[in-house]
Amino acid sequence: MKTRTKKLLSLLLVTVMGASLLVGCGGKSSDEGDTDKTTGGDNEIVFWNIGTEEVDKAIYDKAIEMFAESTDTDYTITSVPVQNDTYKEKLVIAMSSGECPDMYINWSGGPMNEYIESGYAQPITDLFNDSELPDRLLDASIAQATYKDDIYAVPFMNVSLSGIFYNKEMFEKYDLEVPTTIEELEAVSDTFVKNGITPFALANAPKWTGSMYFMNLAARKGGLEPFNAAVDGSGTFEDECFIWAGDKILEWEEKGYFPEGVNSLSEDDGQARQMLYQETAAMDLIGSWYTGLIQQDSPEFYEKIGWFPFPGLEGSDVDDSIMIGTIGDNFISFNCKDDKLAAAFECATKFSEDEMVDFMVESGKVPPVKGVENKLTDPITKSIMEAANNASSTQLWYDQYLPPAVAQAHLDTSQELFGGTMTSKDAAKKFQEAMQEYLDEAN
Amino acid sequence: MGKKELSLAAKRKQDTRRAAFVFLLPIALLMIVFIFYPIVDTFYTSLFKWNGISADKTMIGLKNWVKLAKDTSFWTAFKNNLVVMVLSICIQIPIGLALATFIDFGGKKMTIFKVLWFIPLLMSSVAIGFLFSYALATNGGIFSAISKIFGGGNIDLLGNPKTALYTVIGVIAWQFTPFYMVYCMAAYTNVPTDVYEAAIIDGATKGQYFWRVALPLLAPSIKSAAILSMVGSLKYFDLVYVMTGGGPGTSTELMATYMYKQSFVKFNMGYGSAVAAGMFILISLTSLITMRILNGRKKGDA
Amino acid sequence: MKKTKSRLSWGIAWILGIFWSVVALLPFVFMVLNSFKEKFELLTEGVFSIPKSFNLENYKTVLTGNFFRFFFNSVIVLVISLTILLFISACASYPLSRFKFRLAKPIYSLIVACMSIPIHITLIPVFKMSKDMGIYDSIWALIGPYVATAIPISVFILTSFMREIPKEIEEAAQIDGCGKYQMFFRIIFPLAKPGLATLAIYNGVNMWNEFSFAYTLTQSSANRTLPLAVWEFQGQYSMNTPMVMAVLTLTVIPMIILFIFAQDKLVKGMTAGAVKG
Repeated sequence: MKTRTKKLLSLLLVTVMGASLLVGCGGKSSDEGDTDKTTGGDNEIVFWNIGTEEVDKAIYDKAIEMFAESTDTDYTITSVPVQNDTYKEKLVIAMSSGECPDMYINWSGGPMNEYIESGYAQPITDLFNDSELPDRLLDASIAQATYKDDIYAVPFMNVSLSGIFYNKEMFEKYDLEVPTTIEELEAVSDTFVKNGITPFALANAPKWTGSMYFMNLAARKGGLEPFNAAVDGSGTFEDECFIWAGDKILEWEEKGYFPEGVNSLSEDDGQARQMLYQETAAMDLIGSWYTGLIQQDSPEFYEKIGWFPFPGLEGSDVDDSIMIGTIGDNFISFNCKDDKLAAAFECATKFSEDEMVDFMVESGKVPPVKGVENKLTDPITKSIMEAANNASSTQLWYDQYLPPAVAQAHLDTSQELFGGTMTSKDAAKKFQEAMQEYLDEAN
Repeated sequence: MGKKELSLAAKRKQDTRRAAFVFLLPIALLMIVFIFYPIVDTFYTSLFKWNGISADKTMIGLKNWVKLAKDTSFWTAFKNNLVVMVLSICIQIPIGLALATFIDFGGKKMTIFKVLWFIPLLMSSVAIGFLFSYALATNGGIFSAISKIFGGGNIDLLGNPKTALYTVIGVIAWQFTPFYMVYCMAAYTNVPTDVYEAAIIDGATKGQYFWRVALPLLAPSIKSAAILSMVGSLKYFDLVYVMTGGGPGTSTELMATYMYKQSFVKFNMGYGSAVAAGMFILISLTSLITMRILNGRKKGDA
Repeated sequence: MKKTKSRLSWGIAWILGIFWSVVALLPFVFMVLNSFKEKFELLTEGVFSIPKSFNLENYKTVLTGNFFRFFFNSVIVLVISLTILLFISACASYPLSRFKFRLAKPIYSLIVACMSIPIHITLIPVFKMSKDMGIYDSIWALIGPYVATAIPISVFILTSFMREIPKEIEEAAQIDGCGKYQMFFRIIFPLAKPGLATLAIYNGVNMWNEFSFAYTLTQSSANRTLPLAVWEFQGQYSMNTPMVMAVLTLTVIPMIILFIFAQDKLVKGMTAGAVKG
């Protein structure tokens, strides 16, 4: 027995040594890889993005083409589209091997900060301020691209804010008004429940969909202060407003505001939209990209749709203009230097040029540029932009803003609230524990 | 004289060893590069605090391992894995064997069934995830519809922490049973036709033939199938990640999904590597011990 | 009496068999049905309705895109990987199952232990290696990992198959003066055919649907394999389900055809036949 173990061990050792030798040799034989394809060759800028699907692909292609036509540099852009679900993983794998594309999109917030801290995103403050971008882009979007006083990314794709889409015909049928307070929203919902209609179409298997209810409720109850305090460690996620938000979700779930089996419904597979289209649900709190989605699905059905921002609490002095969402959604970060960085940055500026903005608006996007509301013709998109412009501030989605491990804790606990399998206090406690662990490790 | 014979035996032994070396060399090379090296790398990484992308890692010794040992989420995942393992073995192999037996008894005309029954294994997890998410939906799903026929209400299978794991196990079984069917079909080829004919001539019914003649002959293959199913379920990832992402709560969290989230979502590559390495140790031990037990019994029989 | 009982149980077996056929087939049927629908139709009428019309628009779109390039890439990777895999696994299983040498057991145990390797831990090292070797972003990068990750399970299965080959056959050949290498190619390899067919089927399906290595190791669309073909219909917030179903249906069909041919190798009585030959 003993000798066998010994042999097994020595065998393992030999193979391990063999492995390290082999790999070591492989590494040496091509030190400065000339077939390096993540970072482009001398004149090639590699751009990783998520434009795999038709609409988005056309946008990327057009911007790259505009760059190729107008640039004075001899750089060319190679676009590498990767599907959204696998994109982040591919980026981690590449970066973990010390490889990083010259330009790549991200969603700002926690993950972008990790990329920056790890040295994969260069500050572009000077380039940015010398360009037309400060005049073109919305200030809120620039704020989201900023980390520790430097600008690290160019916001470009879509202003995506959470708000409530509703079926106008169904509201008419039951003689309902667009609610302006949470109390009214509850009254509206009660009417729908009474008539056998699910008030909210929600598919919460991916968790971030339900998180929108939590974020909006917490912001209406306590504003943004409690959140910011919890993040910098001076407050906690066990603050009253988070517990209140949790209680509201539990209460609404109890009253049947959400579809049965809400936690097993899949947003990507269209199960929330299906409820809207089949008219078994009347409202949907979701990101403003739904305007584009519904229009693509059916222009006729889109006629029936209206939109209103998440209402405030009656008699509360908390600012109810605060919006939850992202001003830009996608952000381009850069991992190259000098001339190459300048050329890559030049390409990124193409996304906010007039011609491009027109094209994006036509494709159902709302690029984060000033005066975009004047280009919009669609009434819903217009009202969303109005709300955005009136907002005293915009809070980025928790799951994108927070450090990734804390974000996951938030998503998990909020899903448990929708399932009624956790009390609001326990959820808040678990959320805070994750935050505390992060803060402890950072110090 | 004796001396010469001995060296002949020794020469034979040497020949055997040399031949074994030649035959084993190709897989040894590939496994060193693509399997041993990643394993060693994982064990090494597990000693660091590392977000997975940064150039600087901090050596923290065995801290990740201490954390792993105390991590209730990991042990919950392990427990879930054990449930998946036991039920997978109990569902997939008997059904697979039954299907193979049916085909074996039926002869050539069964080809159509072979093909039909094989199809689940071919489908990609994207399609399975999509179709089952609708089929299992609380409102309008197939199971709710069946429950309504019998006077029950809607049932939420995937969203309920008590049933989610079993539901997922059902879907996994649906997908993988065909593999055990094919495996058992191949095992049946080791039972020579004349054995069957002889048994029938002796007046045995098909049932008797199966239990008394075929099953004992198939036993070694079934044991191997059990090991395969065991390893497969302990490192399972695919459909669970697609269908539930480990939720609701931690009710369907498996070691592999937990490891994936730590490594690629939460930027805890160091700890994620500890989870992966722990997982590797647990699975290898379980399968090697089981194998020893199964083979030990075989020796006892002989 | 005996006969009626046996007939009864055979009847029950048939009923169960047909029931299982329905269970096995329904998801496939709905995958195909949904591939004919229009996007809005799918969302309003639901997944389990019959399409209003069987128009081939979706298929036309898919087939005029990059589909055939992906298909071709997949075929090359599959054929090369599978051939290498089957041959070297058979080579390795032969000594492990039939030779008597001291290291046989430890090596076998080591290989079995390697079955437990989680695929995700190999992604980063393999990415690094393919970069260093300069084969990143080519279909050649896929072959190494596809073969290597399938080795442990293949050797495990084949070894257990080869162990079942009766000793007498080998002994007879030995008397005829058959050496170890001849023995392998003339006797063992042909006798292991059912095992090899099982492996070909199982690993073939896995490689055909393999996803993680495919997107880790390739990046330009010219070098992608079929499982990534669905990307063109999956956006950040939604997917075009009918198109995806059309792609997946087209992906499955070659595998079904392949299986119809391969399962022929799983016919009973091969052992008996081979002994004579």
